[in-house]
Amino acid sequence: MIEARDVSLVYGDGTEALKDVNLKIDKGDIVYITGHSGSGKTSLLKLFMGIEYPTKGQLKVLDLDIKKEEENNIRKMRRLIGPVFQEFKLIRGRTALENVMLGLRFLNLPHRKIKEESIIALEKVGLGHKRDSLVEHLSFGETQRVAIARAVVRKPAIILADEPTGNLDLDNALNIMELLTSFRDEDTAVIITTHATHLLEDIDEGKFIRVNQGQVTVESRGEA
Amino acid sequence: MKNFFSNLGYFLKEAKTIFRIDFLSNIFSIFSIGLIFFILSMVISGWWLSKEVVEVLQKEAEINIYFEEGLDNIRVNNLLENIKSIKGVREANLVDKEESYKRMEEILEKEARILELFDENPFQPFIEVKIDISEVDGILEDLEPLENIDYIRDNKDIIDKLEKIITILTIVGILVITATGISTLVVISHIIRQGIYNNRDQINTLKLLGAPDSFIGFPFLLEGLFLTVVGGILAFGLIFFTFRLGYKQIGTSLLFIPLPSMEGLVKAMAIFILILSGALGIIGSFFGLSSAKGN
Ligand SMILES: Nc1ncnc2c1ncn2[C@@H]1O[C@H](COP(=O)(O)OP(=O)(O)OP(=O)(O)O)[C@@H](O)[C@H]1O
Ligand SMILES: [Mg+2]
Repeated sequence: MIEARDVSLVYGDGTEALKDVNLKIDKGDIVYITGHSGSGKTSLLKLFMGIEYPTKGQLKVLDLDIKKEEENNIRKMRRLIGPVFQEFKLIRGRTALENVMLGLRFLNLPHRKIKEESIIALEKVGLGHKRDSLVEHLSFGETQRVAIARAVVRKPAIILADEPTGNLDLDNALNIMELLTSFRDEDTAVIITTHATHLLEDIDEGKFIRVNQGQVTVESRGEA
Repeated sequence: MKNFFSNLGYFLKEAKTIFRIDFLSNIFSIFSIGLIFFILSMVISGWWLSKEVVEVLQKEAEINIYFEEGLDNIRVNNLLENIKSIKGVREANLVDKEESYKRMEEILEKEARILELFDENPFQPFIEVKIDISEVDGILEDLEPLENIDYIRDNKDIIDKLEKIITILTIVGILVITATGISTLVVISHIIRQGIYNNRDQINTLKLLGAPDSFIGFPFLLEGLFLTVVGGILAFGLIFFTFRLGYKQIGTSLLFIPLPSMEGLVKAMAIFILILSGALGIIGSFFGLSSAKGN
């Protein structure tokens, strides 16, 4: 589903964020991306979403070559991804439900279906009772759950969560991890970045991608 | 398409939100667009009215033919028949000495007393020829070989002046239409750009979620359309009142020129403004969207 060959990313100002990355992520994988702050985790996710393009090497995401000329196809590809951004990127002034519905709006579904699925997704993240609240009135944890609901509501091929445990205490962090991984199935891969490596110590299944100053090492545990 | 209809409610709501976020500048835009359309419609109505007036005047276009003094009735009638048979002549009538005098009396009204200073009727009989204005040159040519004609007053300066006025009006009309069209486009595309700028975070998020540009742009298109159409309605209201007032004033003082019916004019303006505002709204929004796309 995702395959990187010798991919490097150099930002416009010359920052070399990723160097010669080789990796492969398959259908239904659970992937944890770890590394210190500034190591290049978000940069890697940006490549996966076609927000940045490889400066060198070849990157394929869901059969699409990630490069600038493919902007239109990248938009289409993104509809198969459920992103949970580090800063959530919910739309202010709209309710929780409206934000979740946005995840389905341009997927060719009838209005009724869009609403039904969105309510179900909100209930799955435990926010059924908050569906009519404006997102700016929600607590941090609730906001994060709305963002997760918006990502999973489209039943994506890949869920991408950038630092979902960032500002949470241990209990809540574990809960969120559990919630996110619960959406993994044979058609849906889940990719999570975190610098809280202690959260991963007890996990015995999945792919572990370590990013260190732009360089990537991959380790698999369990069946995956 | 299915996409479009299942999201119509969303689009409308978004357009409303975009409008609300930038409420004041949207309101100002509506007013300026309304005024622009108003000016445009006034110019066009003025242009149309004067065209109608000119047409009426053209129908009244006439030349006067004076014949040699003392010509007997048979010859005068002969001449009359000959003139009638010329191509482009619509009507030819003999205006005799007395009729001539009476007309002058009417024109002079109170001042008609000066006519009493004359011992004798000083006016000459003549043949009044109503013509098709475009044929004036041919008619004058055909009159040339006819006998017994003393003098022709062809009113050509007036006719030429009328045509010049029409040309000037047409040019002014086209200039004003172009200028107002461009200003409307600039205002609309500017306000759309503004809206896009104000909503840039949201637009960026939509792109990250994979929304196509058409989905992202449609609420802005709706907003642009709304601005121009409401501006158009405003303009129409202004025009309606102006016309009512104008017809009351002019209608009584310019009775001799039959004005086109007010309903007709107002209806034509309504259709015109509606179509124009819709078209300009859509085009302006497209400009705004495509110019904002680069950023
Ligand atoms: N748009 C950009 N332009 C230039 N440099 C950038 C840009 N985005 C990120 N960088 C740099 O690239 C490097 C990797 O950044 P990235 O955001 O991928 O780190 P990260 O691993 O996600 O960090 P964190 O854990 O703090 O989120 C950093 O040195 C960062 O300063
Ligand atoms: Mg990051």
